[in-house]
Amino acid sequence: MSNGNVILKVENLKKSYNNKVVLDGVTLQVEKGITKVILGPSGVGKSTLLKCINLLTTPDSGKIWLEGIELTDPDVDINKMRQRIGFVFQEFNLFNHLTVLKNVMIGPVKVKKIPEEEAYKIAAKALERVHISKELWNKYPAQISGGEKQRVAIARALAMQPSIILYDEPTSALDPSLVGEVLQVIKELSDAGMTSLIVTHELHFALEVANELLFMYGGKIVEQGPPEELISNPKHEIVKKYFASIYTRGR
Amino acid sequence: MPFWPDFLSTLAKGIIVTLEILAISMPLSVILGIALGTARVYGNTIIRGIASAIVITFRGFPVLVTLLILFFGLSDFGIYIPPFWTAVVGFTLCSGSYQSEYVRGAIRSIDIGQSLAAKSLGMTKMQEVFYVILPQAIRRAFLGITNELIYLVQYSSLAFVVGVPEMFAVTKTFNSLYFRPVETFSTLAAVYLVMISVLVVFFRGIERRLRLPGIEITTK
Repeated sequence: MSNGNVILKVENLKKSYNNKVVLDGVTLQVEKGITKVILGPSGVGKSTLLKCINLLTTPDSGKIWLEGIELTDPDVDINKMRQRIGFVFQEFNLFNHLTVLKNVMIGPVKVKKIPEEEAYKIAAKALERVHISKELWNKYPAQISGGEKQRVAIARALAMQPSIILYDEPTSALDPSLVGEVLQVIKELSDAGMTSLIVTHELHFALEVANELLFMYGGKIVEQGPPEELISNPKHEIVKKYFASIYTRGR
Repeated sequence: MPFWPDFLSTLAKGIIVTLEILAISMPLSVILGIALGTARVYGNTIIRGIASAIVITFRGFPVLVTLLILFFGLSDFGIYIPPFWTAVVGFTLCSGSYQSEYVRGAIRSIDIGQSLAAKSLGMTKMQEVFYVILPQAIRRAFLGITNELIYLVQYSSLAFVVGVPEMFAVTKTFNSLYFRPVETFSTLAAVYLVMISVLVVFFRGIERRLRLPGIEITTK
C-alpha cells in the first residue's frame, strides 16, 4: 500500500499508569478503505490504545499521524483533528439531554458550524445508514434500546464525515440479542469503504469484517495479518491459546 | 387615618421594594451560581481560586454580616453603595455562592462518558461545557437552586439592617407606631407565604418544561 493512502499511522506508542506499562511501543497503520480489527485478551491495553489515538488519553511517548498530520505535535489543534476521527464508545455515551436527531446534528452544527438545514440532511442520511427509522428521531436516549443507542452513536460519528472511525468494543455493553444489529451496521459501513479500526471480542465478526487482524498482548501488537492466515497458522503461543479458548467456548 | 388602610398602603410600598430586590437578585444569583460552580470545576488555577474564595467567603459569612460589611465596612474605604443596591449585591453574592455548590455537585455527577463523547466530536472545552455538560447539570441542580431562591425570599427581610424600606422594615416601623404586632406581623407573614407559594408554582412550571426522559430533576 502506498504511503499516500495511509489514513492513520501510530509509531511506538507508550503509556503507563502508576508504573504499570499498558502500551509498550505500539506501531500500526490503517490504509484508506481498510478495516482492521484488534483482538486480544482483556486488559492488554486495547481500549487505552484507541483512546490514545485521538488523545482522549494522553500517551507518554510515541507519534500519531492522521492523513500525514502529526496529532501528537503540541502545535496541532487537537479539536480540529478529532473532528476527523469518529469514535464509538463501548458505553455509547449519547448526549442524554438531546433527541436522537439532535445527538447526530450537534457535531455538524456546533463544531463544524454547518447551517441547520444542511446539518439536518447530513444527520438524516447518517441515521438512514444505521437503519434508525424516523419514528425514533425525536426520542431521547433513555427511550431507545441499547442496540439503537449504539447505532445512533455510530451515526453521530458518521455525521462528522470522518476519515476513520475507531470502535472501542462497540457491542460489549449490549444485551446479546442486540449485538447483531450493531455489527451488521459496522459491517455495512466497512464494506462501503469506511476506514475502520475496531476493538472487539466478537471473533466471528472480526473474521468477517477485517481486512487485517492485529493481535495485542502485553501492550504490544504481537502478531498481525489477514484473518485466515492469523487464525489458521498463529505463530505466537498466546495467539494460539486465545483462539483455542474461544473455539472451545463454542464461538 | 384608620389603622388598616394606613397599614396596607404602607405595606404595599414595602412589598414593591421587596419584589424589586428579588426581581434583580434572583436571576443574578442564578447566573452567579452557575458561573461560580462552573468556574470551580473547569477554571484554570486563578479562576478556580477566585471562585472558591468568593464561595467560601459568602457561605461563611452570615447574610446579615455581609450586608453590614458591604454598607458600613466599605464606606470606611470611601465606597458608598446605596442601601437598595447593597441588599441586591449582598443577596446575589450569598445566594449565588450557595447555589454554586449545587451546580458544582451536579457537574461532578455527570458521567465522564459525556465529556469524552463531546471531545471525540472535536468540541472545545467551552463547547463541551455549554452544549453538553451544563444543560444536564443545571437540570440536576434545579431543585437545589429553587430551594435557595425560596430562602432568598425569606432573608430578603434582612435588608432592613441597611435601611431598605422593604416589607419587613416598613411593618416593623409601622408596628412601633401603633403597637399592634398580631395584626401587622401576621399580615406580613401571610404575604411571605403567598410570595413563596407563587414561586413554588412558578418553579414547578419550569421544572415541567425542563424535564426530559432519563434526566432526573427531582430527587426520588
